[in-house]
Amino acid sequence: MAEVSALSFRPGNSFLHRMDVRFKIVFVILISLASLKARGPGLFMLTSVLMMGLIHAGLHLKSVLKPLRYVFFFLLFVFMARSLSVPGSSVIEFKSISVTREGLFDGAMVCWRWVVVIMTGLSLILTTRPSEIRAAVEWSLNPVPLIPGKRMATMMSLIVRFVPVIFEQTGETLAAQRARCVENRKNPVYRLKVFGIPLMRRIFERADKLALAMEARCYSENRTSPRLSSDVWDWLALLGVVGLCIITVL
Amino acid sequence: MIIEIKNVSHRFADGTMGLRNINLEIQEGTFVVIAGQNGSGKTTLLRHLNGLLMPTNGSVLLAGMPVSKNLAWSRQMVGMVFQDADSQIVGETVYDDVAFGPENLCLEHNEIERRVFKALETVGLLQHKDQKPHLLSGGEKRRLAIAGVLAMEPRMLVFDEPFSSLDYPGVKSILSQMISLHRAGHTILVAAHDLEKVIAHTDRLVIMKDGKVVRDGLPSQLFGELEAFGIREPCASRMGMEVYSWLK
Repeated sequence: MAEVSALSFRPGNSFLHRMDVRFKIVFVILISLASLKARGPGLFMLTSVLMMGLIHAGLHLKSVLKPLRYVFFFLLFVFMARSLSVPGSSVIEFKSISVTREGLFDGAMVCWRWVVVIMTGLSLILTTRPSEIRAAVEWSLNPVPLIPGKRMATMMSLIVRFVPVIFEQTGETLAAQRARCVENRKNPVYRLKVFGIPLMRRIFERADKLALAMEARCYSENRTSPRLSSDVWDWLALLGVVGLCIITVL
Repeated sequence: MIIEIKNVSHRFADGTMGLRNINLEIQEGTFVVIAGQNGSGKTTLLRHLNGLLMPTNGSVLLAGMPVSKNLAWSRQMVGMVFQDADSQIVGETVYDDVAFGPENLCLEHNEIERRVFKALETVGLLQHKDQKPHLLSGGEKRRLAIAGVLAMEPRMLVFDEPFSSLDYPGVKSILSQMISLHRAGHTILVAAHDLEKVIAHTDRLVIMKDGKVVRDGLPSQLFGELEAFGIREPCASRMGMEVYSWLK
């Protein structure tokens, strides 16, 4: 549970915290797109700027590295796949498997791009209240015909609200089954059945209770949305980010 | 009268009778406990007070107006704190959760902020306003649930088994919260199967069994009959002493 919380909003008063969430979402899109085109020096610039931003926001990188460890396994897998699949001059050869210089370079670049995208996403999530992200989603969907912005935003916020509940229920169900020696049953289908069905039932029960509690507090789609406001600093930051992205892709 | 329950019966979809011909009137500003065994109909009755359940027969009047006429108004008037505080929490932060009700009432941002700060200050959670609700302790979660309904400025507060799964400090904290809300003029209605913790502070005791109100009167006059309805008599009363508060 604590690991899930490490990747969520942390209160603060830095420039990133004060910035309008709509601008932050635009920055995430721009930087992610720029990172796709950028090469080594460009990626180095983006990484440095993001690192400075995260440190300025008072975030300890160590505390977010642990919950992200599974992502690093994924990156390792991508790196290995690229090293082995890209043709070029061979560095290591073993039977029919060959690791190429071009593959190693390409794998490193792809992983670096992923790191930039992850850091950009982190800088948004860690410095923005979930209600502000919800309001920005609602604001951006409002002009789109046939899509109920408020409903979509509430659904999104409920999913975020429900993730820790699912983790908690999963942990409790697992612990209860381990206490009754479920590990002695080797059949994976049996274990999936006895784990999955009660877990789903408990999650749906919690969802029912949540719906009732929302009803008791007068939930309706017609409700006050969180306030969104931008100032001159947001526009200046937008100019800066656009400039940075242009420099990195050139 | 803030609540008038007239000949209310409730039949669930599977045909089970949840409530049978309930008649009850609750005066504004009183502190009432509804006691009964599990399955006696306490929660079902409470859910009729703000229209979460509708009676199959009879009517529920809130300050003279039928609950079914204006559900949003009824839910604002009757703040409900559920047994499972975890499932009542909607927001991603403590502040957001308390703001959920006022936002649903379409209030202005300044008014929402004022109410959230006031409610969090009342329950002593202001310093946790940016924290994740699921990281709070059991007692804090229950206080957050209270703040969530207080921000809607209800006239009546309904607590469903408020002390379940709370430790001693948690019970004391919720109990003192209830007492101060009662002193501030709120009508308090508590459903409980264990009277020990709350009974010293209540004006009236209603006992339910099998969906019916079987006793209604002053707590001290009903102590002798409690065990016949599956409710444990408070310890002090068993020993022939006066029932005292858990806060002393």
